[in-house]
Amino acid sequence: MTLPFDGPAVQLQSVSRSFNGRPAIVDMSFEINRGEVVALLGPNGSGKTTTVRILTGVVKPDAGSARVLGLDCATDGEDVRHRVGVMTENSGLDDRLTAFENISTHGYIRKMPRDIVDKRTNELLERFGLADRGRDRVGGFSTGQRKRVALARALLHEPDILLLDEPTSGLDPEATRDVLDLIANLASEHGRTVLFCTHFLYEAGRVCQRMVMLRYGEVLAFGAPAEIAASLGRNNLIKVRVAPQINLDLDKPILAKSIRNLDGVVAMQSTKGAVEIAATTDEVVPAVIAAFVADDVAIYSVASEPPSMEDVYFALSERHGGSADAWS
Amino acid sequence: MLGVDWQVVRAVFAKDIKAVSRSKAIVIPMIAVPGFLLLIVPILLGFSARGVDSATVGEFTASIPGLGDLAEPLLARPPEAQIYYLLFQYLLAPLFVIVPLMVAAVLAADTFAGEKERKTLEALLHLPVRERELFLAKLLTTLVPAVLISWTTFVGYAIIANVISWPKVGKLVVPNGPWLLLIFWVGPGVIAFGLGLIVRISARARSSQEANQLGGAVILPLIFMVMGQATTLLLLPPSVMFGFGVVMWVASIALFRAAGRRFTRDRLATNV
Repeated sequence: MTLPFDGPAVQLQSVSRSFNGRPAIVDMSFEINRGEVVALLGPNGSGKTTTVRILTGVVKPDAGSARVLGLDCATDGEDVRHRVGVMTENSGLDDRLTAFENISTHGYIRKMPRDIVDKRTNELLERFGLADRGRDRVGGFSTGQRKRVALARALLHEPDILLLDEPTSGLDPEATRDVLDLIANLASEHGRTVLFCTHFLYEAGRVCQRMVMLRYGEVLAFGAPAEIAASLGRNNLIKVRVAPQINLDLDKPILAKSIRNLDGVVAMQSTKGAVEIAATTDEVVPAVIAAFVADDVAIYSVASEPPSMEDVYFALSERHGGSADAWS
Repeated sequence: MLGVDWQVVRAVFAKDIKAVSRSKAIVIPMIAVPGFLLLIVPILLGFSARGVDSATVGEFTASIPGLGDLAEPLLARPPEAQIYYLLFQYLLAPLFVIVPLMVAAVLAADTFAGEKERKTLEALLHLPVRERELFLAKLLTTLVPAVLISWTTFVGYAIIANVISWPKVGKLVVPNGPWLLLIFWVGPGVIAFGLGLIVRISARARSSQEANQLGGAVILPLIFMVMGQATTLLLLPPSVMFGFGVVMWVASIALFRAAGRRFTRDRLATNV
Protein backbone atom coordinates (compact mmCIF):
# COMPACT_ATOMS: atom_id res chain seq x y z
CA MET A 1 0.00 0.00 0.00
CA THR A 2 1.51 3.33 -1.03
CA LEU A 3 -0.16 6.57 -0.20
CA PRO A 4 0.15 9.42 -2.71
CA PHE A 5 2.07 11.77 -0.46
CA ASP A 6 4.99 13.95 -1.47
CA GLY A 7 5.68 15.73 1.80
CA PRO A 8 8.31 14.91 4.38
CA ALA A 9 8.51 11.32 5.56
CA VAL A 10 8.48 12.42 9.19
CA GLN A 11 7.32 15.72 10.58
CA LEU A 12 7.17 16.81 14.20
CA GLN A 13 5.76 20.20 15.07
CA SER A 14 6.11 21.57 18.60
CA VAL A 15 5.63 18.14 20.16
CA SER A 16 5.71 17.92 23.94
CA ARG A 17 5.10 14.99 26.26
CA SER A 18 5.45 14.59 30.00
CA PHE A 19 5.30 11.54 32.24
CA ASN A 20 4.05 12.11 35.78
CA GLY A 21 4.76 15.81 35.43
CA ARG A 22 8.30 15.29 34.20
CA PRO A 23 8.86 16.54 30.66
CA ALA A 24 10.27 13.86 28.35
CA ILE A 25 10.01 15.92 25.17
CA VAL A 26 9.73 19.69 25.04
CA ASP A 27 8.50 21.59 21.98
CA MET A 28 10.26 19.25 19.56
CA SER A 29 10.18 20.10 15.85
CA PHE A 30 12.02 18.59 12.91
CA GLU A 31 11.36 17.05 9.51
CA ILE A 32 12.93 14.10 7.72
CA ASN A 33 12.85 13.84 3.95
CA ARG A 34 12.23 10.61 2.12
CA GLY A 35 15.30 8.42 1.71
CA GLU A 36 17.20 10.36 4.32
CA VAL A 37 19.12 8.89 7.24
CA VAL A 38 18.74 11.08 10.30
CA ALA A 39 20.28 10.45 13.68
CA LEU A 40 18.43 11.27 16.85
CA LEU A 41 21.44 11.95 18.97
CA GLY A 42 21.44 12.45 22.69
CA PRO A 43 22.41 10.95 26.01
CA ASN A 44 20.22 8.52 27.94
CA GLY A 45 16.99 10.18 29.05
CA SER A 46 17.07 12.80 26.34
CA GLY A 47 13.76 11.68 24.80
CA LYS A 48 14.88 9.46 21.92
CA THR A 49 12.69 6.45 22.79
CA THR A 50 9.71 8.66 23.56
CA THR A 51 10.12 10.26 20.14
CA VAL A 52 10.01 6.82 18.47
CA ARG A 53 6.93 5.90 20.51
CA ILE A 54 5.19 9.11 19.49
CA LEU A 55 6.01 8.46 15.84
CA THR A 56 4.31 5.05 15.90
CA GLY A 57 1.35 6.31 17.92
CA VAL A 58 2.27 4.17 20.91
CA VAL A 59 2.22 7.25 23.12
CA LYS A 60 0.36 10.42 22.28
CA PRO A 61 1.81 13.89 22.53
CA ASP A 62 0.41 16.27 25.14
CA ALA A 63 0.83 19.08 22.62
CA GLY A 64 1.90 19.52 19.01
CA SER A 65 1.55 17.12 16.12
CA ALA A 66 3.58 14.23 14.77
CA ARG A 67 3.09 13.00 11.21
CA VAL A 68 4.53 10.07 9.31
CA LEU A 69 4.00 10.09 5.54
CA GLY A 70 1.28 12.67 6.13
CA LEU A 71 -0.59 10.46 8.62
CA ASP A 72 -1.30 11.81 12.08
CA CYS A 73 0.49 9.47 14.47
CA ALA A 74 -1.98 10.12 17.29
CA THR A 75 -5.15 9.40 15.31
CA ASP A 76 -3.92 7.17 12.45
CA GLY A 77 -1.58 5.06 14.54
CA GLU A 78 -2.60 1.77 12.98
CA ASP A 79 -1.95 3.03 9.43
CA VAL A 80 1.38 4.47 10.54
CA ARG A 81 2.39 1.16 12.11
CA HIS A 82 1.66 -0.59 8.80
CA ARG A 83 4.19 1.67 7.06
CA VAL A 84 6.90 1.73 9.68
CA GLY A 85 9.39 -0.86 10.89
CA VAL A 86 10.68 -0.47 14.43
CA MET A 87 13.67 -1.98 16.13
CA THR A 88 13.38 -1.41 19.86
CA GLU A 89 16.36 -0.71 22.06
CA ASN A 90 16.45 -4.15 23.69
CA SER A 91 15.57 -6.00 20.44
CA GLY A 92 12.34 -7.30 22.01
CA LEU A 93 12.90 -10.90 20.99
CA ASP A 94 11.24 -13.80 22.77
CA ASP A 95 14.01 -16.12 23.96
CA ARG A 96 11.67 -19.10 23.74
CA LEU A 97 11.13 -18.69 20.02
CA THR A 98 13.57 -19.37 17.21
CA ALA A 99 15.05 -16.62 15.05
CA PHE A 100 12.71 -17.68 12.25
CA GLU A 101 9.68 -17.59 14.56
CA ASN A 102 10.61 -14.24 16.09
CA ILE A 103 10.68 -12.72 12.62
CA SER A 104 7.81 -14.58 10.98
CA THR A 105 5.27 -14.15 13.80
CA HIS A 106 5.37 -10.40 13.22
CA GLY A 107 4.54 -11.06 9.58
CA TYR A 108 1.56 -13.20 10.53
CA ILE A 109 0.39 -10.54 12.97
CA ARG A 110 0.71 -8.02 10.13
CA LYS A 111 -1.58 -10.33 8.11
CA MET A 112 1.01 -10.93 5.41
CA PRO A 113 0.41 -14.15 3.41
CA ARG A 114 2.11 -17.06 5.13
CA ASP A 115 4.12 -18.18 2.08
CA ILE A 116 5.48 -14.66 1.56
CA VAL A 117 6.33 -14.31 5.25
CA ASP A 118 8.23 -17.60 5.25
CA LYS A 119 10.08 -16.75 2.04
CA ARG A 120 11.00 -13.23 3.19
CA THR A 121 12.07 -14.50 6.61
CA ASN A 122 14.45 -16.99 5.04
CA GLU A 123 15.81 -14.30 2.70
CA LEU A 124 16.41 -11.90 5.58
CA LEU A 125 18.09 -14.57 7.70
CA GLU A 126 20.35 -15.28 4.74
CA ARG A 127 21.06 -11.61 4.17
CA PHE A 128 21.91 -10.99 7.82
CA GLY A 129 24.22 -14.00 7.99
CA LEU A 130 21.90 -16.08 10.18
CA ALA A 131 20.68 -18.68 7.69
CA ASP A 132 22.23 -21.50 9.71
CA ARG A 133 20.77 -20.21 13.01
CA GLY A 134 17.19 -19.70 11.86
CA ARG A 135 15.88 -22.77 13.68
CA ASP A 136 17.74 -22.01 16.92
CA ARG A 137 16.04 -20.31 19.83
CA VAL A 138 17.34 -16.77 20.23
CA GLY A 139 17.91 -17.29 23.95
CA GLY A 140 21.38 -18.55 23.05
CA PHE A 141 22.22 -15.74 20.64
CA SER A 142 24.88 -13.07 21.15
CA THR A 143 23.82 -9.43 21.42
CA GLY A 144 24.98 -8.84 17.86
CA GLN A 145 22.96 -11.75 16.53
CA ARG A 146 19.89 -10.57 18.43
CA LYS A 147 20.25 -7.10 16.96
CA ARG A 148 20.43 -8.59 13.49
CA VAL A 149 17.31 -10.68 14.07
CA ALA A 150 15.50 -7.58 15.36
CA LEU A 151 16.62 -5.56 12.34
CA ALA A 152 15.49 -8.34 10.00
CA ARG A 153 12.12 -8.35 11.75
CA ALA A 154 11.77 -4.60 11.33
CA LEU A 155 12.38 -5.05 7.59
CA LEU A 156 10.07 -8.01 7.05
CA HIS A 157 7.15 -6.01 5.63
CA GLU A 158 9.45 -3.76 3.58
CA PRO A 159 8.53 -0.60 5.42
CA ASP A 160 8.94 2.87 3.96
CA ILE A 161 10.39 4.13 7.20
CA LEU A 162 12.66 2.48 9.72
CA LEU A 163 12.87 3.66 13.30
CA LEU A 164 15.90 2.16 14.98
CA ASP A 165 16.29 2.71 18.70
CA GLU A 166 19.91 2.29 19.76
CA PRO A 167 20.63 -0.45 17.21
CA THR A 168 24.27 -0.76 18.26
CA SER A 169 24.02 -0.59 22.04
CA GLY A 170 25.83 -3.48 23.67
CA LEU A 171 27.67 -4.47 20.50
CA ASP A 172 31.39 -4.97 20.10
CA PRO A 173 33.19 -2.75 17.57
CA GLU A 174 33.04 -5.31 14.75
CA ALA A 175 29.33 -5.98 15.21
CA THR A 176 28.74 -2.22 15.48
CA ARG A 177 30.46 -1.69 12.15
CA ASP A 178 28.36 -4.46 10.55
CA VAL A 179 25.10 -2.96 11.81
CA LEU A 180 26.11 0.55 10.71
CA ASP A 181 26.98 -0.76 7.26
CA LEU A 182 23.60 -2.47 7.08
CA ILE A 183 21.84 0.76 8.02
CA ALA A 184 23.80 2.74 5.44
CA ASN A 185 22.89 0.15 2.79
CA LEU A 186 19.21 0.24 3.67
CA ALA A 187 19.08 3.91 2.81
CA SER A 188 21.44 3.99 -0.15
CA GLU A 189 20.27 0.80 -1.91
CA HIS A 190 16.63 0.74 -0.99
CA GLY A 191 15.80 4.41 -0.56
CA ARG A 192 14.36 3.89 2.90
CA THR A 193 13.98 6.70 5.36
CA VAL A 194 15.83 5.86 8.54
CA LEU A 195 15.56 7.55 11.92
CA PHE A 196 18.35 6.18 13.96
CA CYS A 197 18.55 6.84 17.73
CA THR A 198 21.96 6.72 19.25
CA HIS A 199 23.99 8.19 22.02
CA PHE A 200 27.22 7.43 20.18
CA LEU A 201 28.46 10.58 18.52
CA TYR A 202 30.76 8.74 16.15
CA GLU A 203 27.95 6.58 14.78
CA ALA A 204 25.74 9.54 14.08
CA GLY A 205 28.53 11.21 12.17
CA ARG A 206 29.29 8.10 10.19
CA VAL A 207 25.83 7.09 9.03
CA CYS A 208 23.49 10.06 9.01
CA GLN A 209 23.01 12.89 6.57
CA ARG A 210 21.38 15.11 9.17
CA MET A 211 20.99 14.85 12.87
CA VAL A 212 18.75 16.02 15.65
CA MET A 213 20.75 16.75 18.76
CA LEU A 214 18.72 16.29 21.94
CA ARG A 215 19.28 17.13 25.55
CA TYR A 216 16.68 16.74 28.32
CA GLY A 217 13.97 16.37 25.66
CA GLU A 218 14.85 19.58 23.87
CA VAL A 219 16.26 19.91 20.36
CA LEU A 220 19.64 21.59 20.65
CA ALA A 221 20.26 21.60 16.92
CA PHE A 222 19.00 20.04 13.71
CA GLY A 223 20.79 19.84 10.40
CA ALA A 224 23.76 18.37 8.58
CA PRO A 225 26.75 17.96 10.88
CA ALA A 226 28.77 20.50 8.88
CA GLU A 227 25.92 23.02 8.95
CA ILE A 228 25.55 22.68 12.68
CA ALA A 229 29.28 22.98 13.11
CA ALA A 230 29.40 26.09 10.92
CA SER A 231 26.57 27.67 12.89
CA LEU A 232 28.62 27.12 16.02
CA GLY A 233 31.79 28.52 14.50
CA ARG A 234 33.36 25.04 14.40
CA ASN A 235 35.63 24.74 11.35
CA ASN A 236 36.51 22.12 8.81
CA LEU A 237 40.14 21.11 8.77
CA ILE A 238 41.71 20.90 5.33
CA LYS A 239 44.97 18.99 5.33
CA VAL A 240 47.27 19.45 2.32
CA ARG A 241 50.38 17.31 1.87
CA VAL A 242 53.13 18.85 -0.25
CA ALA A 243 56.75 17.98 -1.03
CA PRO A 244 58.56 17.06 2.19
CA GLN A 245 61.15 19.83 1.93
CA ILE A 246 58.61 22.66 1.58
CA ASN A 247 57.43 24.75 4.52
CA LEU A 248 54.83 27.05 3.00
CA ASP A 249 55.31 30.00 5.39
CA LEU A 250 59.09 29.97 4.95
CA ASP A 251 59.46 28.93 1.33
CA LYS A 252 56.28 30.37 -0.24
CA PRO A 253 55.20 33.31 1.95
CA ILE A 254 53.17 34.99 -0.82
CA LEU A 255 51.22 31.81 -1.50
CA ALA A 256 50.69 31.37 2.26
CA LYS A 257 49.36 34.90 2.52
CA SER A 258 47.02 34.45 -0.47
CA ILE A 259 45.58 31.28 1.06
CA ARG A 260 45.00 33.02 4.39
CA ASN A 261 43.13 35.72 2.49
CA LEU A 262 40.74 33.29 0.75
CA ASP A 263 37.06 33.66 1.68
CA GLY A 264 36.14 31.06 4.29
CA VAL A 265 39.67 30.45 5.51
CA VAL A 266 39.92 31.14 9.22
CA ALA A 267 43.51 30.12 9.95
CA MET A 268 46.43 28.29 8.45
CA GLN A 269 49.60 26.75 9.79
CA SER A 270 52.38 25.01 7.96
CA THR A 271 55.14 22.57 8.76
CA LYS A 272 57.59 20.83 6.43
CA GLY A 273 55.56 18.87 3.89
CA ALA A 274 52.15 19.73 5.40
CA VAL A 275 49.66 22.57 5.54
CA GLU A 276 46.58 22.64 7.78
CA ILE A 277 43.84 25.10 6.94
CA ALA A 278 40.86 25.83 9.20
CA ALA A 279 37.90 26.84 7.06
CA THR A 280 34.23 27.51 7.68
CA THR A 281 33.36 25.29 4.71
CA ASP A 282 35.09 22.76 2.51
CA GLU A 283 33.98 24.80 -0.49
CA VAL A 284 37.35 26.59 -0.25
CA VAL A 285 39.18 23.41 -1.28
CA PRO A 286 39.12 24.15 -5.08
CA ALA A 287 40.47 27.66 -4.48
CA VAL A 288 43.23 26.28 -2.24
CA ILE A 289 44.24 23.73 -4.87
CA ALA A 290 44.14 26.39 -7.60
CA ALA A 291 46.45 28.62 -5.55
CA PHE A 292 48.99 25.82 -5.05
CA VAL A 293 48.88 24.90 -8.74
CA ALA A 294 49.29 28.53 -9.81
CA ASP A 295 52.48 28.74 -7.71
CA ASP A 296 53.80 25.42 -9.09
CA VAL A 297 53.66 23.71 -5.67
CA ALA A 298 53.06 20.00 -6.14
CA ILE A 299 50.16 18.66 -4.09
CA TYR A 300 50.55 15.08 -2.87
CA SER A 301 47.13 14.86 -1.21
CA VAL A 302 44.23 16.94 0.08
CA ALA A 303 41.81 15.87 2.80
CA SER A 304 38.95 17.81 4.32
CA GLU A 305 37.77 16.77 7.75
CA PRO A 306 34.52 18.09 9.17
CA PRO A 307 34.53 18.95 12.85
CA SER A 308 34.01 15.89 15.00
CA MET A 309 30.61 15.13 16.49
CA GLU A 310 32.16 15.48 19.92
CA ASP A 311 33.26 19.04 19.09
CA VAL A 312 29.82 19.91 17.87
CA TYR A 313 27.84 18.31 20.69
CA PHE A 314 29.91 19.70 23.48
CA ALA A 315 29.95 23.14 21.90
CA LEU A 316 26.15 22.95 21.76
CA SER A 317 25.95 21.79 25.35
CA GLU A 318 28.15 24.64 26.48
CA ARG A 319 26.05 27.11 24.52
CA HIS A 320 22.93 25.82 26.31
CA GLY A 321 24.56 26.01 29.69
CA GLY A 322 25.11 22.27 30.06
CA SER A 323 28.06 20.01 30.51
CA ALA A 324 29.24 16.63 29.33
CA ASP A 325 27.60 15.12 32.41
CA ALA A 326 24.34 14.87 30.51
CA TRP A 327 25.97 12.21 28.36
CA SER A 328 26.65 9.76 31.14
CA MET B 1 -17.05 -9.32 17.99
CA LEU B 2 -17.32 -5.81 16.61
CA GLY B 3 -14.01 -4.26 15.60
CA VAL B 4 -11.87 -7.33 16.22
CA ASP B 5 -9.74 -8.87 13.50
CA TRP B 6 -9.66 -12.53 14.43
CA GLN B 7 -6.75 -13.26 12.10
CA VAL B 8 -4.62 -10.89 14.17
CA VAL B 9 -5.95 -12.32 17.44
CA ARG B 10 -5.12 -15.84 16.23
CA ALA B 11 -1.61 -14.81 15.22
CA VAL B 12 -0.84 -13.25 18.62
CA PHE B 13 -2.50 -16.19 20.40
CA ALA B 14 -0.45 -18.70 18.37
CA LYS B 15 2.77 -16.84 19.18
CA ASP B 16 2.00 -16.75 22.90
CA ILE B 17 0.92 -20.38 23.08
CA LYS B 18 4.07 -21.45 21.25
CA ALA B 19 6.23 -19.47 23.67
CA VAL B 20 4.38 -20.75 26.75
CA SER B 21 4.55 -24.35 25.55
CA ARG B 22 8.35 -24.08 25.48
CA SER B 23 8.68 -22.88 29.06
CA LYS B 24 9.41 -25.83 31.34
CA ALA B 25 8.66 -23.64 34.35
CA ILE B 26 5.09 -23.34 33.11
CA VAL B 27 4.46 -26.60 31.26
CA ILE B 28 5.64 -28.97 34.02
CA PRO B 29 3.33 -27.54 36.73
CA MET B 30 0.54 -27.28 34.14
CA ILE B 31 0.75 -31.02 33.54
CA ALA B 32 1.91 -32.27 36.93
CA VAL B 33 -0.55 -30.45 39.21
CA PRO B 34 -3.75 -31.32 37.28
CA GLY B 35 -2.38 -34.81 36.61
CA PHE B 36 -1.82 -35.42 40.31
CA LEU B 37 -4.87 -33.73 41.78
CA LEU B 38 -7.42 -34.68 39.13
CA LEU B 39 -6.22 -38.14 38.11
CA ILE B 40 -3.86 -39.64 40.71
CA VAL B 41 -5.72 -38.43 43.82
CA PRO B 42 -9.09 -39.82 42.57
CA ILE B 43 -7.42 -43.19 41.96
CA LEU B 44 -5.94 -43.24 45.47
CA LEU B 45 -9.15 -42.08 47.11
CA GLY B 46 -11.24 -44.42 44.97
CA PHE B 47 -9.32 -47.46 46.11
CA SER B 48 -9.27 -46.23 49.72
CA ALA B 49 -13.05 -45.88 49.60
CA ARG B 50 -13.56 -49.63 49.29
CA GLY B 51 -15.01 -50.85 52.53
CA VAL B 52 -16.40 -47.52 53.66
CA ASP B 53 -19.98 -48.21 54.68
CA SER B 54 -23.13 -46.11 54.26
CA ALA B 55 -23.18 -45.24 57.96
CA THR B 56 -19.92 -43.37 57.56
CA VAL B 57 -21.37 -41.52 54.58
CA GLY B 58 -24.42 -40.61 56.63
CA GLU B 59 -22.25 -39.34 59.49
CA PHE B 60 -20.17 -37.33 57.05
CA THR B 61 -23.15 -35.63 55.38
CA ALA B 62 -24.72 -34.95 58.77
CA SER B 63 -21.53 -33.19 59.87
CA ILE B 64 -21.78 -30.63 57.07
CA PRO B 65 -23.67 -27.64 58.46
CA GLY B 66 -26.66 -26.48 56.44
CA LEU B 67 -26.63 -29.46 54.09
CA GLY B 68 -29.94 -30.76 55.44
CA ASP B 69 -32.29 -32.19 52.83
CA LEU B 70 -29.82 -31.60 50.05
CA ALA B 71 -28.06 -34.83 51.01
CA GLU B 72 -31.19 -36.90 50.48
CA PRO B 73 -30.54 -37.88 46.85
CA LEU B 74 -27.13 -39.18 47.90
CA LEU B 75 -28.44 -41.11 50.87
CA ALA B 76 -31.18 -42.63 48.72
CA ARG B 77 -28.51 -44.50 46.71
CA PRO B 78 -27.81 -48.17 47.48
CA PRO B 79 -25.65 -48.34 50.65
CA GLU B 80 -22.61 -49.94 48.94
CA ALA B 81 -22.64 -47.25 46.20
CA GLN B 82 -23.04 -44.18 48.43
CA ILE B 83 -19.34 -43.67 49.09
CA TYR B 84 -18.56 -43.66 45.36
CA TYR B 85 -21.29 -41.15 44.62
CA LEU B 86 -20.09 -38.99 47.51
CA LEU B 87 -16.48 -39.13 46.38
CA PHE B 88 -16.74 -38.94 42.60
CA GLN B 89 -19.89 -36.88 42.19
CA TYR B 90 -19.45 -34.37 45.01
CA LEU B 91 -16.23 -34.23 47.03
CA LEU B 92 -13.75 -33.97 44.18
CA ALA B 93 -15.84 -31.59 42.10
CA PRO B 94 -14.26 -28.36 43.44
CA LEU B 95 -10.87 -29.47 42.14
CA PHE B 96 -12.12 -29.14 38.58
CA VAL B 97 -12.53 -25.44 39.14
CA ILE B 98 -9.64 -24.81 41.52
CA VAL B 99 -6.91 -26.49 39.48
CA PRO B 100 -7.73 -24.74 36.17
CA LEU B 101 -7.99 -21.49 38.13
CA MET B 102 -4.44 -21.99 39.38
CA VAL B 103 -3.29 -22.81 35.85
CA ALA B 104 -4.96 -19.63 34.59
CA ALA B 105 -3.21 -17.59 37.29
CA VAL B 106 0.23 -18.92 36.27
CA LEU B 107 -0.48 -18.32 32.59
CA ALA B 108 -1.83 -14.83 33.24
CA ALA B 109 1.33 -13.89 35.11
CA ASP B 110 3.47 -15.06 32.19
CA THR B 111 1.30 -13.63 29.45
CA PHE B 112 0.62 -10.18 30.85
CA ALA B 113 3.41 -9.29 33.29
CA GLY B 114 5.95 -11.74 31.84
CA GLU B 115 5.81 -9.99 28.50
CA LYS B 116 6.78 -6.74 30.20
CA GLU B 117 9.50 -8.51 32.16
CA ARG B 118 11.01 -10.07 29.03
CA LYS B 119 10.77 -6.69 27.27
CA THR B 120 8.92 -8.27 24.37
CA LEU B 121 5.77 -6.19 24.80
CA GLU B 122 7.05 -3.00 23.23
CA ALA B 123 7.80 -4.69 19.91
CA LEU B 124 4.15 -5.80 19.83
CA LEU B 125 2.94 -2.29 20.58
CA HIS B 126 4.68 -1.01 17.45
CA LEU B 127 2.70 -3.46 15.29
CA PRO B 128 -0.63 -2.67 13.61
CA VAL B 129 -2.60 -4.52 16.27
CA ARG B 130 -5.55 -2.91 18.01
CA GLU B 131 -5.33 -2.84 21.77
CA ARG B 132 -8.53 -4.88 22.10
CA GLU B 133 -7.07 -7.56 19.79
CA LEU B 134 -3.93 -7.75 21.85
CA PHE B 135 -5.92 -7.91 25.07
CA LEU B 136 -8.27 -10.55 23.71
CA ALA B 137 -5.37 -12.68 22.46
CA LYS B 138 -3.73 -12.50 25.88
CA LEU B 139 -6.99 -13.47 27.62
CA LEU B 140 -7.44 -16.43 25.30
CA THR B 141 -3.83 -17.52 25.85
CA THR B 142 -4.69 -17.80 29.52
CA LEU B 143 -8.27 -19.01 29.39
CA VAL B 144 -8.14 -21.61 26.62
CA PRO B 145 -5.37 -23.83 28.08
CA ALA B 146 -6.95 -23.64 31.55
CA VAL B 147 -10.35 -24.70 30.24
CA LEU B 148 -8.87 -27.37 27.98
CA ILE B 149 -6.98 -28.82 30.94
CA SER B 150 -10.25 -28.90 32.88
CA TRP B 151 -12.02 -30.70 30.04
CA THR B 152 -9.31 -33.21 29.18
CA THR B 153 -8.66 -34.17 32.78
CA PHE B 154 -12.40 -34.53 33.26
CA VAL B 155 -12.46 -37.20 30.54
CA GLY B 156 -9.69 -39.05 32.36
CA TYR B 157 -11.42 -38.51 35.70
CA ALA B 158 -14.71 -39.89 34.38
CA ILE B 159 -12.97 -43.03 33.11
CA ILE B 160 -11.14 -43.52 36.42
CA ALA B 161 -14.26 -42.88 38.53
CA ASN B 162 -16.41 -45.30 36.55
CA VAL B 163 -13.78 -48.03 36.36
CA ILE B 164 -13.25 -47.91 40.13
CA SER B 165 -16.91 -47.63 41.10
CA TRP B 166 -18.44 -49.96 38.49
CA PRO B 167 -18.09 -53.21 40.53
CA LYS B 168 -20.19 -51.72 43.35
CA VAL B 169 -22.40 -49.22 41.49
CA GLY B 170 -23.00 -51.04 38.21
CA LYS B 171 -23.63 -47.86 36.23
CA LEU B 172 -21.92 -44.58 35.30
CA VAL B 173 -21.30 -42.26 38.25
CA VAL B 174 -20.04 -39.35 36.14
CA PRO B 175 -20.83 -37.48 33.98
CA ASN B 176 -24.32 -36.50 34.88
CA GLY B 177 -26.26 -33.29 34.16
CA PRO B 178 -24.88 -31.21 37.04
CA TRP B 179 -21.32 -32.28 36.23
CA LEU B 180 -21.68 -31.29 32.59
CA LEU B 181 -23.00 -27.92 33.74
CA LEU B 182 -20.06 -27.59 36.13
CA ILE B 183 -17.40 -28.51 33.60
CA PHE B 184 -18.74 -26.71 30.54
CA TRP B 185 -20.52 -23.70 32.03
CA VAL B 186 -19.85 -22.85 35.68
CA GLY B 187 -16.20 -23.92 35.75
CA PRO B 188 -15.10 -21.82 32.77
CA GLY B 189 -17.15 -18.96 34.22
CA VAL B 190 -15.33 -19.12 37.56
CA ILE B 191 -11.97 -19.40 35.76
CA ALA B 192 -12.85 -16.36 33.65
CA PHE B 193 -13.93 -14.47 36.77
CA GLY B 194 -10.66 -15.29 38.53
CA LEU B 195 -8.73 -14.29 35.43
CA GLY B 196 -10.62 -11.00 35.26
CA LEU B 197 -9.65 -10.25 38.86
CA ILE B 198 -6.02 -11.17 38.25
CA VAL B 199 -5.74 -9.08 35.10
CA ARG B 200 -7.45 -6.13 36.75
CA ILE B 201 -5.32 -6.24 39.88
CA SER B 202 -1.96 -7.26 38.47
CA ALA B 203 -2.05 -4.77 35.58
CA ARG B 204 0.74 -2.73 37.11
CA ALA B 205 2.96 -5.68 38.01
CA ARG B 206 6.36 -5.37 36.42
CA SER B 207 7.42 -8.99 36.70
CA SER B 208 5.74 -12.37 36.50
CA GLN B 209 6.83 -13.00 40.10
CA GLU B 210 5.05 -9.86 41.27
CA ALA B 211 2.03 -10.81 39.17
CA ASN B 212 2.06 -14.32 40.68
CA GLN B 213 2.03 -12.86 44.16
CA LEU B 214 -0.80 -10.48 43.35
CA GLY B 215 -2.62 -13.25 41.48
CA GLY B 216 -2.22 -15.58 44.45
CA ALA B 217 -3.73 -12.97 46.76
CA VAL B 218 -6.73 -12.77 44.45
CA ILE B 219 -7.06 -16.46 43.72
CA LEU B 220 -6.84 -17.81 47.26
CA PRO B 221 -10.13 -16.33 48.52
CA LEU B 222 -11.77 -17.49 45.31
CA ILE B 223 -10.41 -20.99 45.84
CA PHE B 224 -11.84 -21.08 49.36
CA MET B 225 -15.17 -19.90 48.00
CA VAL B 226 -15.15 -22.62 45.34
CA MET B 227 -14.14 -25.29 47.86
CA GLY B 228 -17.04 -24.29 50.05
CA GLN B 229 -19.68 -23.97 47.40
CA ALA B 230 -18.95 -26.26 44.44
CA THR B 231 -20.16 -29.43 46.18
CA THR B 232 -23.29 -27.69 47.38
CA LEU B 233 -23.90 -26.39 43.87
CA LEU B 234 -23.96 -29.94 42.55
CA LEU B 235 -26.65 -30.78 45.07
CA LEU B 236 -28.79 -27.80 44.12
CA PRO B 237 -31.25 -27.80 41.22
CA PRO B 238 -29.51 -27.36 37.82
CA SER B 239 -31.30 -24.04 37.27
CA VAL B 240 -29.53 -22.57 40.31
CA MET B 241 -26.23 -23.86 39.04
CA PHE B 242 -26.88 -22.42 35.60
CA GLY B 243 -27.79 -19.08 37.19
CA PHE B 244 -24.55 -19.10 39.18
CA GLY B 245 -22.69 -19.64 35.92
CA VAL B 246 -24.50 -16.67 34.38
CA VAL B 247 -23.47 -14.49 37.33
CA MET B 248 -19.85 -15.58 36.95
CA TRP B 249 -19.78 -14.89 33.21
CA VAL B 250 -21.46 -11.50 33.54
CA ALA B 251 -19.04 -10.52 36.31
CA SER B 252 -16.11 -11.78 34.20
CA ILE B 253 -17.17 -9.74 31.19
CA ALA B 254 -17.53 -6.64 33.39
CA LEU B 255 -14.03 -7.22 34.78
CA PHE B 256 -12.58 -7.82 31.31
CA ARG B 257 -14.16 -4.62 30.04
CA ALA B 258 -12.75 -2.66 32.97
CA ALA B 259 -9.30 -4.18 32.51
CA GLY B 260 -9.50 -3.70 28.73
CA ARG B 261 -10.15 0.03 29.14
CA ARG B 262 -6.84 0.33 30.97
CA PHE B 263 -5.04 -1.85 28.43
CA THR B 264 -3.86 1.04 26.27
CA ARG B 265 -0.60 1.44 24.41
CA ASP B 266 0.19 4.61 26.29
CA ARG B 267 -0.20 2.92 29.69
CA LEU B 268 1.58 -0.24 28.62
CA ALA B 269 4.52 1.58 27.03
CA THR B 270 5.07 3.90 29.95
CA ASN B 271 4.85 0.96 32.35
CA VAL B 272 7.19 -1.28 30.31
